[in-house]
Amino acid sequence: MDIFTVIDSLHPLEIKVLTTLGAAPPGTALSSEQLAAAAELEPSQLSMAVEWLLAKSLIAIQTETVTPIVSLTKIGEEYYLTASPLERVLAAAREATGTGTRLTIPDLQAQGGLDPSDVSKAVGRLKKEGALLIIQGGCIETTGRQSPTAEAIRTLLAEMHDSPKELKSFTGVHRQVIEDFAVKRGNAKEPFRVDERVARSFILSTDGASAAKQLLKQGVAEEVSQVTPDLLKDGSWRQKRFRKYTISLRPPRIGTGKKHPYREFLDTVKTKLVSMGFLEMRGALVETEFWDMDALFMPQFHPARDIHDVYFVKEPSHTTAADEPFLSRVAKVHENGAETGSTGWGYSFDVHRAKRLVLRSQGTAVSARTLAASPNIPGKYFSIARCFRYDQVDATHATDFFQVEGIVLGEDINFRTLLGLLNLFAHEVAQAKEVKFVPAYFPFTEPSVELHVRHPHLGWIELGGAGLFRSEVTLPLGVTVPVIAWGLGLDRMAMVALGVHDIRELFTDNLELIRTTRGLF
Amino acid sequence: MPTITIFKDDLESLLTSDRGAGRGITMAQLEEWLMLVKGELKGHNPETGELRIELQDSNRPDLWSCEGIARQIRIKQEGRLKPYSFFENKPKAPHHLTVKPGMEQVRPYVAACTARGFRVTEKGLAQLIQTQEKLADIFGRKRKTVSIGIYQLPRIAFPITYELVKPDEVRFTPLGMETVMTLSEILMVHPKGLEYGHILAVKSLLPILRDAKNQPLSFPPIINSREIGEVRAGDDELFVEVTGTDLPMVILSLNIFAANLADRGATIEPVEIQYPTSTTLGKRVKTPHDLGKPKTIRIKAIEQALGQELGETVVKQALEAYGYGVSAEKGSVKATVPPYRHDLMHIMDVVEDVAMSRGYAEFTPVMPVQFTVGGLSAIERLSDRSRELMVGLGFQEIISNILGSPDQYSKFMRLDGTEWGRTVEVDNVMSLSFSCLRQWVLPSLLRIEAASSRAFYPHRLFEAGDVAIPDGTHELGSRTETVLGALIAHATTHFSEIHSSLDVLFYYLGKEYSLEPMQHPSFLEGRAGRILVSGKPVGVIGEVHPEVLERWQIAMPVVAFDVNLSQLATLG
Repeated sequence: MDIFTVIDSLHPLEIKVLTTLGAAPPGTALSSEQLAAAAELEPSQLSMAVEWLLAKSLIAIQTETVTPIVSLTKIGEEYYLTASPLERVLAAAREATGTGTRLTIPDLQAQGGLDPSDVSKAVGRLKKEGALLIIQGGCIETTGRQSPTAEAIRTLLAEMHDSPKELKSFTGVHRQVIEDFAVKRGNAKEPFRVDERVARSFILSTDGASAAKQLLKQGVAEEVSQVTPDLLKDGSWRQKRFRKYTISLRPPRIGTGKKHPYREFLDTVKTKLVSMGFLEMRGALVETEFWDMDALFMPQFHPARDIHDVYFVKEPSHTTAADEPFLSRVAKVHENGAETGSTGWGYSFDVHRAKRLVLRSQGTAVSARTLAASPNIPGKYFSIARCFRYDQVDATHATDFFQVEGIVLGEDINFRTLLGLLNLFAHEVAQAKEVKFVPAYFPFTEPSVELHVRHPHLGWIELGGAGLFRSEVTLPLGVTVPVIAWGLGLDRMAMVALGVHDIRELFTDNLELIRTTRGLF
Repeated sequence: MPTITIFKDDLESLLTSDRGAGRGITMAQLEEWLMLVKGELKGHNPETGELRIELQDSNRPDLWSCEGIARQIRIKQEGRLKPYSFFENKPKAPHHLTVKPGMEQVRPYVAACTARGFRVTEKGLAQLIQTQEKLADIFGRKRKTVSIGIYQLPRIAFPITYELVKPDEVRFTPLGMETVMTLSEILMVHPKGLEYGHILAVKSLLPILRDAKNQPLSFPPIINSREIGEVRAGDDELFVEVTGTDLPMVILSLNIFAANLADRGATIEPVEIQYPTSTTLGKRVKTPHDLGKPKTIRIKAIEQALGQELGETVVKQALEAYGYGVSAEKGSVKATVPPYRHDLMHIMDVVEDVAMSRGYAEFTPVMPVQFTVGGLSAIERLSDRSRELMVGLGFQEIISNILGSPDQYSKFMRLDGTEWGRTVEVDNVMSLSFSCLRQWVLPSLLRIEAASSRAFYPHRLFEAGDVAIPDGTHELGSRTETVLGALIAHATTHFSEIHSSLDVLFYYLGKEYSLEPMQHPSFLEGRAGRILVSGKPVGVIGEVHPEVLERWQIAMPVVAFDVNLSQLATLG
């Protein structure tokens, strides 16, 4: 690495240490304390900088000495404030001997403030030193002799309270007591701790020396981590050095504002339809059987009108709307075809049934209402309508789902323009180049056709169904021109675009999934 | 619509004829042909040759069998239908069936014929039973309007009588049973009696078919006699009857059965039905019976509907190749559907048959050229604009089911028994989880929050979608309106955070609003407001009540608003 690259990668703390060493005569070693003082660094900052510089081989260790240091532990500080277990046991024994009370080890252990094991250890030490006697019955008595250990501990506690000392400054009894009462592996509850303080001195390596030389030569720009308004205001950014970041790391995640991928998919469909000249229609979630089915020439005995196919509304059960003149006209068409040129279904139409409220089961209900409301001629309409079916919910059936459908009205509408429109949908909505028209059956259209397309990713799929509305549908609603009714089945395309395999996932409650799904349209 | 199981070799042998399509049909060829019958291949087992085919057209029960499918394809190949002689209404029927007075109150109509010379095989029997079931079940509305019986002809002595008897007057061993039972016992014990007994509204007099020796054939529409009405492989002389409540449907069902048996090589002999009073077809009706009435259609009308000039000859050829009887005269065709069909309601039904007979691929698509201006509804535009703004404000869009549970929409929201808690409920509930429509959007958002405590915070969610608000003054009992709901959830969220979002939203929507303190059970008291525009309420905003969060098992503070865009659109 060349020296400038090395310098660019340096943290301000490293620069301080390097320049401090570089400012001394060549070959000078400085101790940690000297470095910290000269570079004006906290011990923790210095130790970080030194470790980094060592890792980069810009400095080397000249000398290393290990000094044992004694200090008080938390327990030691407590003993300093109260008294050591030795002294407390001795005091209790003296009091007992003075008053002639019997004192046993369990009595001592029962007294508050002392750990049973501390009591045992203290009694053992005092007995060994001859300060205590254990007489018959396990009673303790004082001998009147002093305990050198207890005194040594008291002195040491006072001496080291708040100021650690080198171990070598202690001799004789004190040194022995420290070693006996210092924290060791397996015995953490002691008043003293002996730590090894490593004292090191450092010199510059060859690379370090040239880096330091260069740094001193170019003058040290102060390094900052961020561009701030103040820096910009007074132009002082020019004297600053901006620390380089490690930019290859993954960034922290943020929650973003985003459309739902399924809605986004439907939005693209909506936009396509508008661009093709379609006007949007809206309808209600609750519909009458009349608009949902009767007006579409579905006979009242049709299997799809069964209680097992449609959700009925509990309250109110029937509409208050008269829906005239349409209801009377449709009733006649069902019964005998009226003036439509049809034979009708030949059954007795139940007007009350027509007023029954249901949850809209097909988007064509919206088209039926549009037909009855003096639509534009020529006219093109679409709706993206939420519909409800009485189905068991599984991977391919949802209780409510979107139907994309609509109508096209005009004098020039016929079977071939119907196919032309479907061709357009195939190209625009599914980007399909190959299409196939398959005869189909819908109660409200004749002829009826299914649109199959070769999807760029899915192969042949059924994209939609369409047909020319029967006269039995259009004439009673007051429309005398031919009308195309069309519907697109987009769920499968949506599922592929969203990468899901279960229709229920289109409405998932898993926020993580919603956040991470990227629609590929 | 029905899905039937047929066998490829059976279909192939039914297709074999003078013009000889026949063996080794490819799947591609089959799918092509299925377009003639609006059939979709749902499954194929290459080892057994089993084909599962869905027939879409609910008005063409003649196609719901292997024979029917083969027939439609064969006619196309041969260019015309070879007429069935037994439909001719002239020759006298060799057998008789008498309908006694009183039947008009219960199950008025019957049709019957005999079939000889076709030896039933195991597979053939399965096909016969499948056709019988599909016709009675789907076309006959679960036997209500049509039911069918097949019998061993040699055991029957003509004439047959169709009459009413007392429930305990007649006894016989029904199919599926070992012992003799009375009609009332059959209704109470036999599985078919339990399944279909409700069709017979009056139980004091029940229908029975008996032969000249007084042997019961059947207790229609419930069950056949085991002695006479159990057809086995090897039988080659059959009797078929259809009873029901609709004369054309009864006759059509028999016609279909007769044509199917004839296609398998049987000779059909008609039966004359004698009614006590005159029917629409008279007092004596020979069955099978041709119900067809010719329809005269102008060629121009067909050409106009299809958008293509075809001419008399082409139209005539197309209709004949689809089974019609056709004569052309002065710019019109006079077309009659074959007797196994009865589905022409309108000339457009004939138009479609012309198109199918020629094949949809014969018609070149033409773009509609009339100019129209596209556009979105006002509410969709407002909704889209709001959605854009919410996304800009850092909210993630959500999309939810509208059908949910009263627990979610009301109880968890502390709205039970309040005006806010009313929803449009479903009458025929399948599952409580899907039993009412949402009346506001906030529960839909809490649903996500409750399931997503592991997704990193903060959560900012919104949904713009339809709700149904119960309204007794509306003709549908409810108003469908578009509502925008939004919530923020994280450890330190509070009222002013959601208020800021609302404030920005309304600023860019160009709506002046104010907040009015309100008590709403879903929100903390003193931290909830009614959103007013031009003095009218358009929504609520506030800190969601801790008890609501507890009920949803959400352990994170939530603030939210719910704005009715439909109402907002009319204000300010």
